[in-house]
Amino acid sequence: MSDLNIGKTKVNYSAVWILAKRELMSFWRNKSRVISSITQGILFLFVFGAGFSRVNIVIDGSSIDSRAFTASGIAAMVILFTGIFGGMAVFRDKMFGFMKELMVAPVSRRTLMLGRTVGIALQTMLQVVIMITLGVIFGYFGYDLSLIWRVILILPVAFLASLGIVGIGLTISTRLNDMQSFGLIQTFIVMPMMWVSGALIPLPIQITMFNPFTYSVDLFRFVLVGVSYFPFWLDLIVTSGFGSLLIIIGARSFNKMEISQ
Amino acid sequence: MSQNIIEVQNLTKIYDEGNVLAVDDISFNIKKGEIFALLGPNGAGKTTTISILATLLTSTNGEAYVNNYNVNKEPDKVRKSIGIVFQEPSLDGEMKGWENLELHAILYGMPKKERQAKIKEVLKLVDLDDRADAFVKNYSGGMKRRLEIARGLIHEPTVLFLDEPTLGLDPQTRRKIWEKIKELNKGNSKITILITTHYMEEADQLADRICIMDHGKIIAMDTSENLKKQLSGDVIDIQFENVEENFKIPGLIREIKGINGVKNVSFGTTEGEQNIMPNFQPPPGMPNIDPAMIQARIREILSDPKKLIIAWKRMPMAAGMFLNAPLAMKKKIANMFNDNLLEEVPDNIKKEILKIKKGEFEEEEEHLEPSISISCESGGKQLPLIIQKISENGLKIKTANMHQPTLEDVFLHYVGSTIREESSNHTKDIKKMIQMRQLRK
Repeated sequence: MSDLNIGKTKVNYSAVWILAKRELMSFWRNKSRVISSITQGILFLFVFGAGFSRVNIVIDGSSIDSRAFTASGIAAMVILFTGIFGGMAVFRDKMFGFMKELMVAPVSRRTLMLGRTVGIALQTMLQVVIMITLGVIFGYFGYDLSLIWRVILILPVAFLASLGIVGIGLTISTRLNDMQSFGLIQTFIVMPMMWVSGALIPLPIQITMFNPFTYSVDLFRFVLVGVSYFPFWLDLIVTSGFGSLLIIIGARSFNKMEISQ
Repeated sequence: MSQNIIEVQNLTKIYDEGNVLAVDDISFNIKKGEIFALLGPNGAGKTTTISILATLLTSTNGEAYVNNYNVNKEPDKVRKSIGIVFQEPSLDGEMKGWENLELHAILYGMPKKERQAKIKEVLKLVDLDDRADAFVKNYSGGMKRRLEIARGLIHEPTVLFLDEPTLGLDPQTRRKIWEKIKELNKGNSKITILITTHYMEEADQLADRICIMDHGKIIAMDTSENLKKQLSGDVIDIQFENVEENFKIPGLIREIKGINGVKNVSFGTTEGEQNIMPNFQPPPGMPNIDPAMIQARIREILSDPKKLIIAWKRMPMAAGMFLNAPLAMKKKIANMFNDNLLEEVPDNIKKEILKIKKGEFEEEEEHLEPSISISCESGGKQLPLIIQKISENGLKIKTANMHQPTLEDVFLHYVGSTIREESSNHTKDIKKMIQMRQLRK
C-alpha cells in the first residue's frame, strides 16, 4: 500500500491546516467533551489537591507546595488523555468511512498524518490552558506576573509532550479493527502511564523513571512550579526522543494502513 | 488512446489474505462522455475494479489508465482526474455540509476564490444549497448521497466513479439521483461516468454500455438493447384451447420452427413425471441437512407404501405434502395401495385415495391445456405468421402473450445460478448460526 503513497516528501501545508482545524472544530463543537474535560479537571484538583494538602512533598531536598504539585501534574495528565484518544479518532474516521475520502485525495499520507497530529497537539494545548486557568481560579497556583511567562512557555512543552502520546494513539488506531479494544487500551496503556508517572501522587523516582511520560510531567512541573525530580535537559531529551520515535512508528503504520472496502 | 478516458488491460487483483482472486484478467475501454455500468452480484469484483482505478488498491497484474495516466505509476495525476462516490458514506457527520466540501476542495489544492464559487455551484446542482449550513449527521440518506456526488464534482474531474450510488435508498430518492446523474452527462461538459450497481433497472436507465461481471470476470459487455437482443429477442407464449386435435401440435411446432426468425419453440410441459417437491426448502431451525439428501430419502419412502404410512402417521407435514401433490403423483401413490394396506392409512388421506381410485378427479385433469413458448428475433414480424400457421392447422388460441426479455432476464441468464447458489449458502449459514445458538442454551 505504501507504494501508492504519492509525493512521499511533499507536504501540502494548507491541507495540514484544514485537517488540524477539523480536529479543533470537532473538539469545540462537541460540548460534552469540553464540559467533561473541565469537570474531570475540577474533580481531580479537589480530590488530589485536598488529599495531599497536609502532605509534605519533598523534591530534591526542598519541600514544595503540594497544591501546585497536584495542579501541575493534572495539567500534564490532560496530555495523556487528549493525546491517546485524539490519536484514536483515526479509528472513528475509519469506521465512518471518512478515511477513504482522505486516502483518495491527491495529498501524501504524511500530510494527512501531520494534519491530524498538529490538530490534536493544538487541542491538547488548549486543554492544558483550561486546566491551568482552573488551577489559578481555585487558588492552586500562586498568581504573579511570572505565571504569564510560564503559561506561554508551557504551550510549546505541551505541544512537544503530546507528540509521543498522539503517536501511540495513531499506531494503535491504525491497527485496531474493533471498538471493544478501547477498554483494553484504557487499562493497559493509559492507566499505567498515568499512575506510574507521578503526576497525581508523589512516587519515588526508582519507580517512575521507566515511564517515558514521567519526564513530560516533570518538565511541566519544572516550568509551572520551578522544581523537578530530574534535570530539565534530561526531561527535554527524553520527551523529544520519545515523541520523535512514536511519531515515526505512527507514520509507518499510517503508511501501511489499508482501507478495506 | 485519446478517445478512451479509461483503458483497462488484463487487469487482475489477488487479495493476499485468503488468496482471493477478486478480479480475473479483465479488459475494457470507456469512451469520453460515456456512462458505463459495471453490473454484477455482490462479490463480483466491481468495487475492487473501481478501487484499483481510483488508486486505492494496486493491481496484481495488468495495466489500467485513467485520463491517459497509469494508475500504478502516476496515482496523484489519476486522483486529480477522478471524482469518487464510495459505496458506503464517507462524509464527516460532525462537520457541516459546506465544510465537508471545503475540506475536499483544499485537499485538491483549489485556490480560495475558485473554491467558493465552485462549492456554491455544485451545491445548487444537487439542490442542497439551502441545507449547506446543517450538520451532515442530520442529513437524510439521500441528501448524504447527493452531497457526496457534489463533493466528487468540485475539482472538475474528467471521470466520476459512482460505487453503488443508490444502495439503500428509497425508490423516489433513487429516481432523483438518477436524474442528477443523467444531468451531469448532458451538455457541453459531458462528464464520463463509471457506475457500479447490482440494480438491473439502474444500469438499464442510466448506462450507455453495460458490463456484466461475475466471479471477477467480464461475462458480457454491450449496450442494454444489444444485451437483451443477444438473449432471445422476443418471447411469445401461446396457450391453446383444449381440442381433440392435440396430436397436431408436434407438427405445428415443426412448421413454426421453419418460420424465418424463430429461434426456438418449446412445448409446454404437462403434468407428468414430476418431482413431488421441486423447490423443497427445509423450514428454518431444522437441522442442517443437505436438501438433496432429504429428497433422496423422500423418494425412498415414496416407493414403499408401508414406509409411507409410517411417515403419514408420524409427520403431519408428510400428509400435507400428499394432499397438495400434483394429481399424477397422487394417482401413482394411490395405485400402490390395495384394500389391505388402505386400512392402516390415516383417515383424511384414505378419503383422498379412495376418491382418486373412483376417478373423481378425471375432470380436473382434462383442464390441462397444451401450450407452447416461442422465442424469436422480432415478435412483431413473426407473430402474424405463427398465428396463420396455427389457424391453418385448425387449432384455437386461448391466450397469446408476447413480452420482451428484460435486462433482468439477461442478467439471470448469465449469472442467475450463482445468485441462487450464494443465497442458499447464506441460508445455510443462518441455519448454522441458529444451531449454534441452540447448542449454547
